[in-house]
Amino acid sequence: MSASKSRPQWVLPVLIGLLVFAALPAVLASFDRGYFYQIANLALIFVLLSASMHLVTGVAGLLHLGHAAFYGVGAYTAALLTTKLGLGFTWTLPLSGLVAALVAFLVALPTMRLVSIYFAVATLAIGQMLYLVMLNWVEFTKGPNGIIVTKGLELFGFSLSGRLATYYTVAAVVVLCVVAIGRLSHSYYGNALRSIREDDQCADAMGVRTVRLKMEAFTLSAFFAGVAGSLWAHMTGYISPGDFKFSESILILAMVVVGGLGSLPGAVIGALLLILLPEGLRGLGDFRNIMVGMVMFLSILFLPKGLLGEVSALRLVRQQLGAAWRRTDNGIGIGWR
Amino acid sequence: MDLFDPYYLQQLAIGLSLGMTYALMAIGFTLIFGVLNVVNFAHGEIYTLGAFAGLVLITAAAPPIAAVVFAALAIGAFAGFSLERLAFKPFRRFTDEASLKSRAMRESTLLSSLAVSIVVREALEIVFGSQMRSVPFEYLINTPVRVGPVILVTGDFIILGVAAAMLIGLQYLLTRTRIGLSIRAVSNNPLGAKYVGIDTDRTIIMTFVVGSMMGAAAGILVGLYYGAIFPAMGFVPGIKAFVAMVMGGLSSIPGAVICALILGISESMATTFVSSGWSDMVAYGFLILTLIFFPNGLFGAGRERV
Repeated sequence: MSASKSRPQWVLPVLIGLLVFAALPAVLASFDRGYFYQIANLALIFVLLSASMHLVTGVAGLLHLGHAAFYGVGAYTAALLTTKLGLGFTWTLPLSGLVAALVAFLVALPTMRLVSIYFAVATLAIGQMLYLVMLNWVEFTKGPNGIIVTKGLELFGFSLSGRLATYYTVAAVVVLCVVAIGRLSHSYYGNALRSIREDDQCADAMGVRTVRLKMEAFTLSAFFAGVAGSLWAHMTGYISPGDFKFSESILILAMVVVGGLGSLPGAVIGALLLILLPEGLRGLGDFRNIMVGMVMFLSILFLPKGLLGEVSALRLVRQQLGAAWRRTDNGIGIGWR
Repeated sequence: MDLFDPYYLQQLAIGLSLGMTYALMAIGFTLIFGVLNVVNFAHGEIYTLGAFAGLVLITAAAPPIAAVVFAALAIGAFAGFSLERLAFKPFRRFTDEASLKSRAMRESTLLSSLAVSIVVREALEIVFGSQMRSVPFEYLINTPVRVGPVILVTGDFIILGVAAAMLIGLQYLLTRTRIGLSIRAVSNNPLGAKYVGIDTDRTIIMTFVVGSMMGAAAGILVGLYYGAIFPAMGFVPGIKAFVAMVMGGLSSIPGAVICALILGISESMATTFVSSGWSDMVAYGFLILTLIFFPNGLFGAGRERV
């Protein structure tokens, strides 16, 4: 143990918790402008999307170019369950995740044996197919007109649709999911996924069930994307296929790449950067997307490891966030069991 | 239902000309992606750049059509050269065998070309607006020509001719000339090519220039054919070209052309049964089916995929 050298492990989690659940809401409430709440919620949702992409692309090394489509599946599930069956957020939140995961599982069955670029293009094609369904199956999804979601956020009958309540609900769900993803990616399970990314034949020979693990990672990441989709649907009250097109997948990918492939704190930082920076530079207007491309290009060129590379991120998480089952002499450890 | 009904023949003709436009795009794409084996996601933007170069020249000077195509070719060559320098060269810093084969290297060029393509597309949107720009009427290559029971347009013949010329020219280049042989050598084994004295850097640039010239020519021809040019025009043909390339077996340019034709015909036939919004589904479906059931493509020889 090196507790004398480093801070105790509860300091950083408590600080982050205070920031998300006390400092930020206080700032938002003091300004009390709907726009700021919108930005905060959007940033949180993209943190979740980026974290779920981190699991499949960063940790398991499967380049996924259709992630936004699973986000869309979640959002459409929530919207359709609300408008057709009258279910509330309490039910749509888990169900959207499950439906997105089910779709991902069915998609993964045939495609999971493809490698590298072939897998990437297969996911691109699947993402586009799902997008075409959202756009063209007018009787079911209302096509390009989109769906108005009549119910806001609520939990077991308590309405949570006030500005602050909405923020707290979104923040709670996102933090919970990110902690779950952190638990998955900083455990022996995550280490197995990383071994597949580095050399799947070798991992196979060592007894890691590569295809099964890849499928699990893909399905789990779609589950979290679906959860993000239901948050989005209930938060904005209106969804349309344009929110889930290819460029959104690329935006999420850019977040993970900018933050650092394989680094969960990096994915969170990347999401915050790519959502908040364009909003901060709103005067530039149309330059939002070009910025995404530029930031992505420059970070691949000059920071190939990302803003917070995988190695330093792992060290940070294991030392400061206690993500180690048993700590070795230098206080790092291997990961949760 | 008579299959030789004029309606179906007309649909077949439309499908063939659609397939030819895909083939035009697929030829350059296959040269860079399939033959040289470099993952390039920015080819669609080269196509768009070619189309816009032609459009700018038309609105500025109204030159003869050959000059327009020539301008597109020049822009294509320049764009291919700069693309290679910007998005691919920096990632060839390490030349040892391990990093040449490493997945991280290959995926970094995938991501960098994707990033460059986003920047180019968005820049075009800022400069020209995201709306479709129509081509002046006198430049359109769609004067109807009646052939038996079906109606074709002049553009069909022009695109057929250009695609055939490109295909034959490239086959000649790849199998008979020194530069073609060095392209194939580099794609086969970059390090080995270096050992036998091939300038790999120059070969890769040459391939990019030739492939991008073809992409840009495809862009302006298709732009003149449909009469609409817009910044996002390269995305869908890029996907179709990719599908054709994968179906054709990656390194086979004739295979890609045949599959582009199959794709075009299937899409136009599909619109007889379902609304046209669904027709893109055909290409994505073909892609998934090919990847799963014919991993070597329909016309391809075996190739290591890992």
